[in-house]
Amino acid sequence: MNDNKTILVADDESHILHVVSLKLRNAGYRVVTARDGQEALELAQQEKPDLLITDYHMPQLSGLELCQKLKQEVSTSDIPTIMLTARGYHLEPADTEKSGILRMLSKPFSPRHLLATVNEVLGQTIAA
Amino acid sequence: MRRVTFLSVLSLVLLAEGIGCLVVKGGVAGPSAGTDIPFYAGTVLMLLGATSAMFALVIVRNSCRRLQDRITELTSNRKLASLDAGDGQLTPLVQAVNDLIEYAEASVGDAAMKLKEIEIELKVAKARRHHAEAILYSISDAVLVTDSFDELVLANDAAARTFGFDLAAATRRPIESIITDATMVQLIHEMRQSNSTNGWRVVEHQLKGANASRTFKVTLSCVSDRADEPAGVVAVLHDMTKEKEVAEMKNDFVSNVSHELRTPLASIRAYVEMLIDGEADDEKTTREFYEVIQNEANRLGRLIDNILNISRIESGLVKINKQPQSLTVILKEAIEIISPQLKLKQISLEEQLTPVFYQMQADKDMLYQAVLNLLSNSVKYTPEGGRITVQTLVDETKRKVITRISDTGVGIPPKDLPFVFDKFYRAEANNRMAKGTGLGLSLVKHIIETVHRGRIFVESQVGKGSTFGFELYLSE
Repeated sequence: MNDNKTILVADDESHILHVVSLKLRNAGYRVVTARDGQEALELAQQEKPDLLITDYHMPQLSGLELCQKLKQEVSTSDIPTIMLTARGYHLEPADTEKSGILRMLSKPFSPRHLLATVNEVLGQTIAA
Repeated sequence: MRRVTFLSVLSLVLLAEGIGCLVVKGGVAGPSAGTDIPFYAGTVLMLLGATSAMFALVIVRNSCRRLQDRITELTSNRKLASLDAGDGQLTPLVQAVNDLIEYAEASVGDAAMKLKEIEIELKVAKARRHHAEAILYSISDAVLVTDSFDELVLANDAAARTFGFDLAAATRRPIESIITDATMVQLIHEMRQSNSTNGWRVVEHQLKGANASRTFKVTLSCVSDRADEPAGVVAVLHDMTKEKEVAEMKNDFVSNVSHELRTPLASIRAYVEMLIDGEADDEKTTREFYEVIQNEANRLGRLIDNILNISRIESGLVKINKQPQSLTVILKEAIEIISPQLKLKQISLEEQLTPVFYQMQADKDMLYQAVLNLLSNSVKYTPEGGRITVQTLVDETKRKVITRISDTGVGIPPKDLPFVFDKFYRAEANNRMAKGTGLGLSLVKHIIETVHRGRIFVESQVGKGSTFGFELYLSE
């Protein structure tokens, strides 16, 4: 049922990138991956994913900078985002406004919980 | 005295008799020829009276002169002493003066005693003031004391340095003419106007300096006089710039460490859950998952070791166990541990190591930790497909071995090079390239220089790569 949905996953930690991709692919999603913020920005512009899962702290371009850049462009401004972070970061309503971040998950995270969040966010986006 | 009285009475009687005779004669017109006895008798009596009066006056004058001489002598000697009654002509007067002198002596004695007490009190007060000033000057915090007119009463060297005024010239001048910082002046004004003799106010305030601003904790309180009325303000400024920097560093450190700990833990948790959920569908994937868990657990262990070791070395609590060791063996072990990361980034590693028989007195665990940190850094900052060279060179004449770990990584900007071994320091450019706590290189420096009395060095060119190395002395 998720065959037609593409998710862009960005993380500089290869193990995390691998495990998240596998979990999502096993759930039927199409997954594209990026190792840093700049690569993620380029891929987002090319692929126009249905969802972005990004790490907060990344080389080249941080997760937050990536989201803000995507939000500024019309073609990518509507991409809903889930952010993973190993730092305590509190999501303010204003952040969602400015960056499109809908959920914040703290590392270490449960892939099961991440998948549930992905399903929920995509379900909400489709319903909206 | 009796003599003067007698002469006085006698002269008065004689004068009276003489006057009486002249009156009986019937006037004072002058003697008539031959028969005028009362006239002559009267004249003689008057002359005798006048003479005895003169004699009495001379006696009195002489006594007065002696008395005056004695008083002059005492005055010139600045002494109070009883006067001698002398020939007794002025005894009652001398007695009265002596009573007065006695009273004056008693008063002077009292006054002298009171003066002594005051002098002692003054000495004690001066000693206390010196003591208080010594305390005040020894305080590293800046202290300003103003009176009820906002004039500076007291300040210490630290205050003069902080606000840049001349301590000697500043006393009794309005505070606004001494301190240019308007907020500080305002704080002192407000505190004095609040008239509060109990309690104090603590404010954090930044003072702008020529190069950088410094943060102070300003404690203001009112001083009261004897009647418990507000009489001025005491302001104590504690420089908390360093404390704030340390607090900020600690905060960054905790944040970095927690990030570094969470990252491998995130992998471990995710892969374990994937295995439990049966998401690894073949044996190859399952094995791969186990390897990830093992590698990440090792990474976590190394990180914890780094944190603990640096803390132990810095606090001097670490136990150093030096034994003859081969650096080549240690390097080979570290290279083996790092090889999964090399493989992952397709980085090639070239070994140019000396034979294992070269040995040195070293703590194996610590040296291994240092080498591992340097290797791990090289991998971290070398892009995929890069190259790392590990080389050891022996200098037989100087009896030392030089280790060089070179990479084809991003390099370190020259401005950051002098600080790379400082604790918590992270080059901004490298911060974007990879994560770190800013502890690894600091620990390496400690291990090489503090524990092994060696020397650490770094050479780097941005875009070309870095060489981290160290020199250690061989065993005799």
